Amino acid sequence: MLKDITLGQYFPVKSFMHALDPRMKLLLTLLYVVALFLVSDFWGFLVAAFLIGLVASFSKISLKVVFRGLKPLVFIIMFTAFFNVLYGGGEPLFPQIEWLSWIKTDGVKNAAFMIIRIILLILGTSYLTYTTSPVMLTDALERLMRPLKIFRFPVHELAMMMTIALRFIPTLIDETDKIINAQKARGADFETGNIIRRAKALIPILIPLLVSAFHRAEELADAMECRCYHGGAGRTRYKIYSLGWRDWVALGAMVLSFAAIIMLRIY
Amino acid sequence: MSTIIEVSNLSFSYPTEEGKAAHRVLHDIDLKIEEGEFVAILGHNGCGKSTLAKHFNGILKADRGSVHVLGMDAGDEENLLEIRRNVGMVFQNPDNQIIATVVDEDVAFALENLGIPHDEMARRVDEALELVGLSEYRQRAPHMLSGGQKQRVAIAGILAMRPKCIILDEPTAMLDPKGRKEVMKTILRLNREEHITVVLITHYMDEAVQADRVIVMAEGEMILDDTPREVFQNVGLLHSLSLDVPQTAELMFALRQEDIKVPISVLNVDECVAEIEKLLGGGEND
Repeated sequence: MLKDITLGQYFPVKSFMHALDPRMKLLLTLLYVVALFLVSDFWGFLVAAFLIGLVASFSKISLKVVFRGLKPLVFIIMFTAFFNVLYGGGEPLFPQIEWLSWIKTDGVKNAAFMIIRIILLILGTSYLTYTTSPVMLTDALERLMRPLKIFRFPVHELAMMMTIALRFIPTLIDETDKIINAQKARGADFETGNIIRRAKALIPILIPLLVSAFHRAEELADAMECRCYHGGAGRTRYKIYSLGWRDWVALGAMVLSFAAIIMLRIY
Repeated sequence: MSTIIEVSNLSFSYPTEEGKAAHRVLHDIDLKIEEGEFVAILGHNGCGKSTLAKHFNGILKADRGSVHVLGMDAGDEENLLEIRRNVGMVFQNPDNQIIATVVDEDVAFALENLGIPHDEMARRVDEALELVGLSEYRQRAPHMLSGGQKQRVAIAGILAMRPKCIILDEPTAMLDPKGRKEVMKTILRLNREEHITVVLITHYMDEAVQADRVIVMAEGEMILDDTPREVFQNVGLLHSLSLDVPQTAELMFALRQEDIKVPISVLNVDECVAEIEKLLGGGEND
């Protein structure tokens, strides 16, 4: 039952977008997000939307799938839109109807703006996680954050923690399933009762899970020591990333769109 | 031949809460393991065999006495990396010793830690995966593999360091019979063909029989230390330590108790069959 959770929602297919260097993808996403916040009119959004269309067609993951991922966020989007309308200024949109006088032109415009911005933001970042495996993402993060080491920021340690966490997700999910079944076999009831009762029923799952996680951590630490782990100092990397023609093409497209958005803002 | 591990006068107890008397796990152990040997360590749960093994590469530090690996003192922090590079250790649960989410990246983990250059690393990863017969699984996710395969990935992760000695702490305890066979075959091959010293901690007698030398431990002490043939003659003693003996030795022991004259030092089924045929005035099939 828990196996259906797919963290990061990575779709392992072969495509132009998948083959991009994860560091480049991270950088492009960052640029894209900055660009979205620089957009000041609908033409700018058109450029961003065009970019998303391009990414969609080069990633073999259809926009439909990605839009489905928006569903859980509909509430937040509507909420944001509502408040934008509520506090917007300008002329009433429906002057004849008395009780709708709180809806003003600027408010509606701002709300529409916000909705489009959020949707484009989610679409863009979704494509990052859809086309990059969590491991590659952590790897890219570690490499991009390396300069922060000067400020004694524990880049390697952070990346190692993320890698191990990702590695143990399936193991711990398996374990949780086993514990749930074991407790059910002894008559535990997880499905009935009010919220408090159900929350209480989780305790006999969480405690064995926690105990076992600590036990695993101890063994893992021993195993890592046996394999000569001694922190990040003097480490070399097995996986080497190199920028190929694809990365430069993608960067070119991004820079062009970025420039276009800035031009639209100025004129 | 040179000595890989030399333990002299080793005692150890785990730290306890204040006020409680420390329970001593190892008592005055003296032990030498020579290059190329295949040593099996047998013993009941809690007899100290895993604790002893953890001294072989400096995971635990001796309270009293000393452990030398390839002449280096394991009590000295400075030597630890070099010792661990030469004496690798594989644990019982493969899930708790695999670090990466892709097989070949996990095998490379130790090499990354040692700062091996990339080209050399790639070569050694290929070599290690080849040795355990998992070359075609290099891009798989470890949690999708069977228990036996996972344990072989763990062994490959150690082999990539090109150690002189591998210690395996009940590597087959959590595996199904098929996985056990795979792992044992790999271990035997490493010892016989690659001449890697193997220390196998186990409680399966059929595994211990395949070693050159069997050490039996109880209550933190070494009780027996001899060839399997000699060790498994002590059926009564082993039973009193609640250890099994190989089924053939068990059968011979039972026959002898009935005053039937059979030799006690019989290890495999073929030898056993031959002895019984001889006893029955055999040779009907000849």
